[in-house]
Amino acid sequence: MRSPAPRLLVVAHRLPSSWIPAWTFARHAGLAFLIFVLFPSLAAASGDGEGAAGGHHAEVPMGVTLLFVGLLVAMILCLAFEEKLHAKKSVIVGIFAVVCLFVGDAFHLLPLGPVVNAFGETLNVPVYIPAIDWGVIAIILGSSLFVDITSRSGLFTWIAIKLTKASGGDPRKLLWAYGIMTVVFSAVLNNVTAMIIVGSLTAVSLDKLKRRSLLLGFLMVEALLTNIGGLLTLISSVPNIIVGQTAGISFVRFFVVAAPFVTVATVVTLLLGARFFKIESLKSEDEIEEAARLVSGFDENDGIESRGFFIFGTVMTMAFICAMAMTSVTPVLRDLGMGYVALSFAAIMLVRFKAVADTFYQALDWDLLAFFAGLFVVINVMEHARVLALIGQGVEGIIGLGDVAGTGAVLLSSAFFSSVTDNIPLAAMLAKILAGLGTAPDSPLWWAVIFGANLGGNLTPIGSASTLVAVTIMHKQKLQMSFGGFIVKALPYAVVQITLAVAYVLIFLR
Amino acid sequence: MTRIDQFESVFKAAARDVYEPHHHDIKNVLLVSDLPEKDAWLYAAGIKRFLAAVDPDGAVHWASAHEDRGRTVGELLEVVEQEKPDLICTYRSLYSEGWRWPFSLGEHLDVLTQAVDTPVLVMPRPDQSSYWQQEPAGTARVMAMTDHLDGDDRLVDWAVQCTAAAGTLFLAHIEDERTFRRYLDDVIAKIPEIDTDLAEDLIGRRLLKGPADYIESVGEALREAGLKIQIESLVSFGRHLKTVEDMVTDKAVDLVVMETKDDDQLAMHGLAYPLAVELRSVPLLMI
Repeated sequence: MRSPAPRLLVVAHRLPSSWIPAWTFARHAGLAFLIFVLFPSLAAASGDGEGAAGGHHAEVPMGVTLLFVGLLVAMILCLAFEEKLHAKKSVIVGIFAVVCLFVGDAFHLLPLGPVVNAFGETLNVPVYIPAIDWGVIAIILGSSLFVDITSRSGLFTWIAIKLTKASGGDPRKLLWAYGIMTVVFSAVLNNVTAMIIVGSLTAVSLDKLKRRSLLLGFLMVEALLTNIGGLLTLISSVPNIIVGQTAGISFVRFFVVAAPFVTVATVVTLLLGARFFKIESLKSEDEIEEAARLVSGFDENDGIESRGFFIFGTVMTMAFICAMAMTSVTPVLRDLGMGYVALSFAAIMLVRFKAVADTFYQALDWDLLAFFAGLFVVINVMEHARVLALIGQGVEGIIGLGDVAGTGAVLLSSAFFSSVTDNIPLAAMLAKILAGLGTAPDSPLWWAVIFGANLGGNLTPIGSASTLVAVTIMHKQKLQMSFGGFIVKALPYAVVQITLAVAYVLIFLR
Repeated sequence: MTRIDQFESVFKAAARDVYEPHHHDIKNVLLVSDLPEKDAWLYAAGIKRFLAAVDPDGAVHWASAHEDRGRTVGELLEVVEQEKPDLICTYRSLYSEGWRWPFSLGEHLDVLTQAVDTPVLVMPRPDQSSYWQQEPAGTARVMAMTDHLDGDDRLVDWAVQCTAAAGTLFLAHIEDERTFRRYLDDVIAKIPEIDTDLAEDLIGRRLLKGPADYIESVGEALREAGLKIQIESLVSFGRHLKTVEDMVTDKAVDLVVMETKDDDQLAMHGLAYPLAVELRSVPLLMI
């Protein structure tokens, strides 16, 4: 899953000081553009409550809506200045959730009172509880726990080393092996973990092969492929989960639609990477023999502490993917949803570590989870304050450019915003707006948001957490990589990938 | 980003040093002694019997730098330059009475082990009757000894080459216990962020795992090469000199092989020199 939000903050303070102005500038430019495009109708009336998100809500005075627009802009600004504020995103968003709830209730915008559940029972639930999309939280919580425990089995490192040995140490074959592994790991695990695993292995194996000069190229290509892999399945990135859940896209349909693009984009990225970074195959017999000897020194079994748990982890990983894929067509699971499946698998894996389960709870990314919870509350209040309806008018304007131009513009603007701001609020907001506009489940607009939000991460080193991890590994390995340098190197790939995505969405999904 | 470190550590641990055998040709041997020529050749005959595993067919060419040839260190180095030997055989305290006081190797041997790349076989002195009164037993039990065994293919190559066909090769790696305890008790134990017991366990196991894995790869390589030499692993913590001396005695070792040079220091390796001084009744191959 692509999970940039809180991790960006974690890594940001490790960036060279020369990066901060560039980062801040990029974010400010992005913000200005975001505000300009998403709020073109600020001067216009707030609408009559139809046609955009939240059409069923009561009339809200324009002044109140604008007050909440101000709060939303302030939150986005605070998120942009998070490194200056020295605050975790969960804290920033949490504070805004508290304020929004308070102000929302003061203006009588919130639907307070008892809630009737599916059984017709009346429950007293605080208004902020149903505001959170617990399905998304359950998927993220369950998948994170499952992946963390499974990685203890040594399965992922085993696969990584097996592939390294299969390449025979040939740089070109190694690039393809690591590239494909990055895409698959990004799809099955999440793009940050994929980058950490493949990036660390790349540094160690190229060192062993005495080919450190190729390290920068390898890391760049892998970083760019994490965001391609993040498009492969419904659970590969957070925007996929949010948009997919809102649009009602099943796991299988998501995979069927995304897989052809991911395949083509991966091949193109690897071909470009091999060419631009001059990653060639070995020529002489001596070189081939020496490389094969060096990689044969890797022991894939070194990280496996228990053969039984390794096999169990392998079987459970395959079962997890199958269960996720079959959720929408499996009785009972279909009703309980993917969050239930993810949590169930995490619970089963925890049995192996039942005595030390708390260590896994501690390792969970609580900042990410709290960030989501707060974000959902803020967006829910914004919906009641008709801010989303107002933004929806701006989006409607973009969509109104036409079937082709509108869809393309949504994808391109999503990619641009995603490169300079967080793609999770962007995806959450756009998903809600598209739903409010009554967008059909098979509309290409959903895919425009998904592709744009994921691929935009490749435009800048701060565009996604995985590219930032790649840069961190580069600096750890004493490789020079400036903010501008990354953009210069990544831009050709990102342009090609986004162009391919626009063409794919417009030709095959329209 | 501690997870980057975590995975990097996992992969670094998985990148094992694997032994790859190389054969070192021994065609010319130079005997360096302070004996008269006739006695020098008698002494050489004893060494030839000892090194039967290295030269089973007697095809090696022997030369001698005896009392009139190479008296000074400079002259000796000239002789070595002329003869270009693949192996030098000698003993301690040439042209000196220093052997009576076992505190050094003598200037000739000091310089030879450092100034010349050729391995030097240091035999017990010809007047050491306790060794020479019996026929040398050959090299059925050889020990390669170091404190950084993993990846030291050259050391193992020479040890393997010197071991008799069905002999036993002891591969010893002694991790200095005092250094380990000093870091543990004086440093790690005083850092609150580090669990001392856990650190002791993990660092201790990791220090010994590298050489143990490497020795395993030596066994595999020799089996693949069809050699019948038996490999015995001696990997442990200990006090360098004392532990090695005990091992040599306990295992009744015929020949000890050790490194005298490494990339970081010009002087003789810290452990090799005191051992060479102490182990006076066991032949040493100093490479």
